[in-house]
Amino acid sequence: MNQHRFIRLAGLLLIVSVLTLPFYWMVVTALQPPGALVTGAHAWWPSEMHWANFSDAWNAAPFGQFFVNSAATGVAATTIQVLGAILMAYAFAVIQFPAKSVIVIAVIATMAVPEEAKLVPNFLLMRDFEWIDSYWALIVPPAAHAFPVFVLYQWFRTIPTSMRDAARADGAGHWRTLWLIYVPMSRPAIAAVVVIAFLGRWNDFLWPLIVTNTAEMRTLPIGLAYLRGLEETGNQWPVLMAGSLLVILPVLLLYAVAQRQFVEGITRGAIKG
Amino acid sequence: MSAKSQRREWLTFLLFAGPNLIMFGLFTYWPILYSAYLSLTDWNLIAATPVFVGIKNYADLATDPETWRVTGNTIIYAVCVVVSAQIIAFALALLLHRPIPGRTLFRTLAFTPYVTTTAAAALAWVLLLDPRLGPLSTIYGLLGVEGPDLLRSGTGSLVAIIVVGSWKEIGIATIFFLAGLQTIDRSLHESASLEGAGSWAQTRFITIPLMTPVIFFLALSGFIAALKTFESVYMMTEGGPVYPDSSTYVFHLYKTGFRDFRAGLASALAVLFFALTVLMTAAQFRFARLWVHYE
Repeated sequence: MNQHRFIRLAGLLLIVSVLTLPFYWMVVTALQPPGALVTGAHAWWPSEMHWANFSDAWNAAPFGQFFVNSAATGVAATTIQVLGAILMAYAFAVIQFPAKSVIVIAVIATMAVPEEAKLVPNFLLMRDFEWIDSYWALIVPPAAHAFPVFVLYQWFRTIPTSMRDAARADGAGHWRTLWLIYVPMSRPAIAAVVVIAFLGRWNDFLWPLIVTNTAEMRTLPIGLAYLRGLEETGNQWPVLMAGSLLVILPVLLLYAVAQRQFVEGITRGAIKG
Repeated sequence: MSAKSQRREWLTFLLFAGPNLIMFGLFTYWPILYSAYLSLTDWNLIAATPVFVGIKNYADLATDPETWRVTGNTIIYAVCVVVSAQIIAFALALLLHRPIPGRTLFRTLAFTPYVTTTAAAALAWVLLLDPRLGPLSTIYGLLGVEGPDLLRSGTGSLVAIIVVGSWKEIGIATIFFLAGLQTIDRSLHESASLEGAGSWAQTRFITIPLMTPVIFFLALSGFIAALKTFESVYMMTEGGPVYPDSSTYVFHLYKTGFRDFRAGLASALAVLFFALTVLMTAAQFRFARLWVHYE
């Protein structure tokens, strides 16, 4: 029995070590002195703790600006996406409208439409709006997303109608019923949707790549590609890994704090048919 | 309900759902229609108007070996990622299913790649897979062999992209397998034990058959997600070493539209991609419903 358990533990340790090796490697490399021969046994532990790589990465590219761009557009797009989804999900779940089910299906079905297939027309739309290389392009189009509508719609439908009737008897209209009853009763679903929306914005690559073209407007993932393209940092692995860590640390912190919401949001979106 | 209050109800619906409906119309429905139109034109994005060319773009795609190559690459990529990630995730889930010290921590760590920014992870993998730098150099050194330089070889570069895709996918598959394992009735294993079935026999004849719905569901959703791979190609190989050795469908679409400036051709690629993913997602939803009924 104990031997069995030992084998299981060894198997787990092996698989999980391989899965986490890239993170270990980022940290170790980010601390290596520049130009160190990062090979063989030397590569597994830095010969000295060279923290300056982080400031080098920060200064080589306008990383501060990338950070501001990613954070500002991420928060704005998440807010619009979730607010829009709350209103729409409530309308879908509660308010009467002719042929409502057709509209609901038409919106939910867009979950199947890949962003990649809309790239060219949406780029042209941004060009016509003169939104290229602006926050507008990074915030507005990504805010139209069916996933949070779907999750909140499912959740709102589980709230008993008696709650709504009681509110109506007290003279509350739809607006007050939504904010005083539906939203407070849906905190877990809303938290999951917020976390997923922000993660999606933070990690997005293709859309910001095509709608921004100056370093001042780039977001962090694109900034990383920019750092790699620079002559002075392009093959400086310690600096590149320091930059990578700067990009992923906020996400890892958010994941550490809100792990339950992450897993909840991702699995919820994936199953319910 | 009186006519007046009904009008009020309808108006409230429009006020609540309207802003989002406009956004969906503008950024989802319009692009689909416009893509379909653009796919029938020739346009370099600069000339004043697109030139209508009929189905020429589709014919060109069908006769261009690059189209077939990137489509093949993408399918190979998706199949390899789904199969390898599921095997590892299944093993991980079996190991994590029963109580073991550090269980929560292991699960958290296994899921971390899934939330990590792909662009940053892909950059780290360039270093990890380098035969002269990184951990592989140590292993090759110990073995006294000269390791292959994956990113500079035709097939190797595709393998490198697959490794990153699989690495990201394992965590989410593990979560679903763990959820599935919890639904298996314990008494099944208990009675099997009484009948003298060992743990391998139990896995083979009880666990795996009962998990087939989860396996199918994950295979399909993992496949759809894998079709969209872009960042790792952009960061690691740019489709090289010799294009399109390791190019994927979406990278090819991006290159066609935004590097070669052939908007019509890129739109034809987009329309075909749209059709394929919508069909697969429809299949996935049907299956999800079946799966829920199973339990």
